[in-house]
Amino acid sequence: MVKTLNYGKFKLMERSFTNIIDNKEDALRRVRVALLNILEDTEDARRIAVDEKNKTMAIIENLTDGILLLDTNGRVETISLMVESFLKKSKEEIIGIDFFDIIAGNEFKALKDLLKDGGKIKAVQRKEVEVGDNLNLEVTVVFLKTEQEEKGSLIVLHDVTRDKLIEKMKTEFVSIAAHQLRTPLSAIKWTLRMILDGDVGKITEDQKELLDKTYISNERMISLINDLLNVSRIEEGRFLYKQENMQLEDIVDGIVKSSAESLKMKNLKIDIDVPKKLIPEVFVDKEKIGLVVQNLLENAIKYSKDGGDIKIVMEKLENEASFKIIDSGVGIPENQKERIFSKFFRGDNVVALETEGSGLGLYTAKNIVEAHKGKIWFESKENSGTTFCFTLPFAKK
Amino acid sequence: MFKKILLIEDDKFLRELMNKKLLSLDFEVSTAADGEEGLEKIKAEKPEVVLLDLILPGINGFEVLERAKKDPTTANIPIIILSNLGQSEDIEKGLKLGAKDFLVKAHFTPQEIVNKLKSILG
Repeated sequence: MVKTLNYGKFKLMERSFTNIIDNKEDALRRVRVALLNILEDTEDARRIAVDEKNKTMAIIENLTDGILLLDTNGRVETISLMVESFLKKSKEEIIGIDFFDIIAGNEFKALKDLLKDGGKIKAVQRKEVEVGDNLNLEVTVVFLKTEQEEKGSLIVLHDVTRDKLIEKMKTEFVSIAAHQLRTPLSAIKWTLRMILDGDVGKITEDQKELLDKTYISNERMISLINDLLNVSRIEEGRFLYKQENMQLEDIVDGIVKSSAESLKMKNLKIDIDVPKKLIPEVFVDKEKIGLVVQNLLENAIKYSKDGGDIKIVMEKLENEASFKIIDSGVGIPENQKERIFSKFFRGDNVVALETEGSGLGLYTAKNIVEAHKGKIWFESKENSGTTFCFTLPFAKK
Repeated sequence: MFKKILLIEDDKFLRELMNKKLLSLDFEVSTAADGEEGLEKIKAEKPEVVLLDLILPGINGFEVLERAKKDPTTANIPIIILSNLGQSEDIEKGLKLGAKDFLVKAHFTPQEIVNKLKSILG
């Protein structure tokens, strides 16, 4: 067939082939340039990504907290350098290893107990554990998740050893200070009492009157130190001691009985209203809840006028026991209601009325009630009376 | 017959005051100013009741209590802690170690302390 083509036609075809090839070559050249450009962009992007990764790694590695990133199988992927010193192992002994194998040693038992839930790690939020020799760590575990998939978990170990030490020193300081203050106060108390009781000879009425007042002053000082001790314990967050199931009615009853003297002194009538059927028990540190009731009752007594009425009402609510104390006393001024639970705060009207009082009673009461997961509040009108209420959740069956 | 009380207290003035009070009520009183002396006197004198302070130089009150309760010759002597410590932990520790009672000095008058002694002596 080709043989039949004449030369002219052949030439024409050749030219058009050449054209096509030229065009193709051109196109290829353009594609090549484009590809090279893309490659260059990718290389740039890769370099940026590597830079970013290095930066992120550098940040993670140099964090002052211990950070461990676990994959979905619980193996360690990435750590910060602090982890090596917390776990007393080198990076090589940690990376790629199952986290629970790393902390299998006895010194990390507390940490393992905290985090191991079956075979898996569980999420915790700022829990303190002691590991090894006096190293106190605050541990947080969060699961890393995107919308589609689990990405493993993140463990954060924060060294709180120093904070613990300071806390311990503060407690020791407070208890030693309290002890040191109480000793001379005890000596004063005992001396005055013995003189007043006539143990060292007869005294005149005038002397007795003065010494009686001195004795009361000294008692005030003793109770102020008790208040301060309580506050310092509250602030350490370890105020509640031993919680047990109790009848709220019994606690209130005991406190009211022990206040009989001061009720009589002001000629106050007290009325206690409890339901016939026992209120379900509450789970409380009975000494501390007693302190709440005592503080509220003391206030009601102190700020009532002579011959007034005080009423206590206890009720069973849906999930909690409620306590209410209603007085017809001086009340709380409107503009000071917000500050009534603040430490050392005392209302203007009561400062004018009574110079004594530490301003710690309601602060203490609020902290105790809230430590029991209860609520405390009040309603008051100046010059007509105050009602303080608190609730405590029922004990779990 | 007068009952014999051992008073272990490092503060001289408190010791004198309590001593005076007890003597005025015809008790026989022996005193010790630190833990070591106290422990020796518990063993040697076998008092009928011990009033024991906790913060003492040298051997502290908790240790005195622990050792006295461990020694079969003194284990039955009732010991009342009379201290100015008074946190729930301290009280529980004292009672667990075998103290008969725990009195916070600043919260009791000498007469009230004597009443406690009498109730224990029967």
